[in-house]
Amino acid sequence: MPLWPIQRLRRRPGFAPPDRALATVETRQGQRRLAAVSPEAAARGLAADQTPAMARAICPDLVLIEADPDADAAGLAALARWCTRHFTPLAAPDPPEGLWLDITGCAGLFGGEAGLVEALARRLGGFGLQARLAVAGSSGAAWALARAVRQDGSILLPPGGERAALAMLPVGLLRLEARAGFLLRRLGVKTIGDLAALPRADLAARFGTDRSRGVLARLDQALGGAEEPIAWPMPATPWEERLAFAEPLLTTDSLAAALDRLAVRLCARLERAGRGGGAFIATFTRVDGEEKAIAVTTARPVRAAAWLLRLLAEKLERVDPGFGIEAICLAAGRLEPLDAAQAVLLDGAGMDEAPGGKLAATIDLLANRLGPASLWRAQPWPSHVPERALRPVPPLAPSVPWPHLPPRPLRLLARPEPIEATAPVPDAAPLQFRWRGALHRVRAASGPERIGAEWWHHAPPGPAERSERDRLRDYYRVEDTEGARFWVFRAGLEERRRWFLHGFFP
Amino acid sequence: MPDPLSSLPSGLPAWRRSLDPRPPHGGVAFGDAAVDAHLPEHGLGLGQVHEIGVAEFDDKAGFGDGQARTGALAAAFAACLLARLPGTRPILWIATVCDLYPHGLAACGLDPARLILVRARREAEVLAAMEVALREGAAAAVLGEVGAFQRLAARRLQLACRRQGSTGFVLRRWPHAAAPVRRVAEGNAAATRWRLAPWPSERRDREPGPARWRVELLQARGGRPGAWVMELAEAPARAMGDRDATPALRVVAALADPAAAPPSRLRAAG
Repeated sequence: MPLWPIQRLRRRPGFAPPDRALATVETRQGQRRLAAVSPEAAARGLAADQTPAMARAICPDLVLIEADPDADAAGLAALARWCTRHFTPLAAPDPPEGLWLDITGCAGLFGGEAGLVEALARRLGGFGLQARLAVAGSSGAAWALARAVRQDGSILLPPGGERAALAMLPVGLLRLEARAGFLLRRLGVKTIGDLAALPRADLAARFGTDRSRGVLARLDQALGGAEEPIAWPMPATPWEERLAFAEPLLTTDSLAAALDRLAVRLCARLERAGRGGGAFIATFTRVDGEEKAIAVTTARPVRAAAWLLRLLAEKLERVDPGFGIEAICLAAGRLEPLDAAQAVLLDGAGMDEAPGGKLAATIDLLANRLGPASLWRAQPWPSHVPERALRPVPPLAPSVPWPHLPPRPLRLLARPEPIEATAPVPDAAPLQFRWRGALHRVRAASGPERIGAEWWHHAPPGPAERSERDRLRDYYRVEDTEGARFWVFRAGLEERRRWFLHGFFP
Repeated sequence: MPDPLSSLPSGLPAWRRSLDPRPPHGGVAFGDAAVDAHLPEHGLGLGQVHEIGVAEFDDKAGFGDGQARTGALAAAFAACLLARLPGTRPILWIATVCDLYPHGLAACGLDPARLILVRARREAEVLAAMEVALREGAAAAVLGEVGAFQRLAARRLQLACRRQGSTGFVLRRWPHAAAPVRRVAEGNAAATRWRLAPWPSERRDREPGPARWRVELLQARGGRPGAWVMELAEAPARAMGDRDATPALRVVAALADPAAAPPSRLRAAG
């Protein structure tokens, strides 16, 4: 994938300029340098290692973006995962801009290696990605050829053709370490053919015998003499347990018994691994092929089979067995480390003694009924705007101290409601106001408390009322003749002054 | 007179025990002798369900008006009582509409960090969730906001409280659906039933003074009803979470006639 960082940026949604010069910039030893340069920029004379100032001088409309090697690596890994689904089970990212695909035995599915390469190029092209593809009998040869081939091209090396194909390529394509490459160039060894012609014993004496990265090792990896170990990403261990039944299950009791066995097995595995799960899904496969699933989530990671079963049993009646259930799969997700002491607290027996565990159990039961998103704890948020001064956090999140604010209402309307208020002078508290049809005469008022909109939040361009309401508010605490207390505010500038009701004091 | 129940064997059937009017979990003093004398435990009984309503339920004043406004009154009274419960365990607050503003709880002496908010889709779910939480007994108290609170639901919650000694509060709010509501005045199985109404405060130079409410104890099992005007003490006078500090509520005046009318309301002609 030549210039992968640039290609990745271009693919980002909303990244507009398709044909403008683009470069990424990074900080190398305290100096800002260009890292990757797009072909458009290169055509105008830019190159990697230039300073951004110089680059801007050469090309004023250059788009400079901070290099993000982590995102580049993640993108490459994602592409490798995609390849494992469509082309071969063995695909690995090769940072900074390559991918390894082991297509042994896979080419037949595409009508030969040529078919596979063509399909891969087409699919990548569909993503808007340009790739140079090379198929060879050895990893080193494929690496070198992929980088030697012209833009957008592909090359298929017949078996045993490595030596001939690589002979004319520069030694730089052997993935040598910088020192070794420099030394070889000074010795006048320019091509791989030159290198291969030298006596092996002399090379070993001069460059050492590093088994994986030495000159000899790289040469053998390219010419097919040595296998290169590639770190193929392995699929994670599936945390699931399955049971299949010769005789379909029809009753809820038998389903519960089967779930019990699965839960005990899964929890035993979790215990051996020292982990607990925060989410569990039981999938029931019916004889007619339909799948039904029930899911439970827990506030803390658990691995107590009894507790898991109790949560699942509450939802078991939603599973319609139809003509029978022939297989059940119980999977754990959101795994976290869980040491033995914690597990005891959460275990069935310890649950009554430990208040923390009991609280987590209550939260699980409620979340199981109402949905995990319906439980939360409010946390203060540093904002002056009342409706933004709170933030929901999970129910077991650690609590933080609350700030001391001027009097605040106990009930807050989700959006301030406009009221018709009468004030003696423009800058005073209201004498009376009408809200939802009822007139309230004010017998006492305190304020104003001025709350300014946070200019650093962009005001979304919306209806005039909204931006006006967001700008500046003068809040008053008012009490009407019955003793009911309100939080009202005046918003807007002189001629467009408006009143709103925002909350209720006890 | 000796209690006839005490002479029964200890293996008392569960249904009989559940009728025992004395909860075994004690109570929390209200902090004012005038109020505590009306309550059987010389304070609010723990391990029981208490109901807090607002007078406007009966008046059916303005529809939307009552719903939002009265919510603050009942919530504040409940928060004052919750702040006096022993321990610092969390409090579950279950409602269908979440307009509670935790920043306002500090005025009632309740630490907002103790609150775990739960949103239910329907009122029936609020009561069901309350029952689950009360039965588990992990929270210091469980509070639910509902419009209708029938006898059966009250009985179920009362039974759920018994096992772990959990304390429950039911806030009566105007229902958001237009279903017919039974009046607050109708009796149910709650241990105490309170009814609140706003009361004009002592003004200071046209500024509102500390909030005052008319607090009516409609029903107290083992106690007697009463009515008072209570005042919410100023927030800086109390340290949050300190139960021995001045109680948040102070009785200003006892009302001889529980049915004393609040000052005449002014309503617009149109």
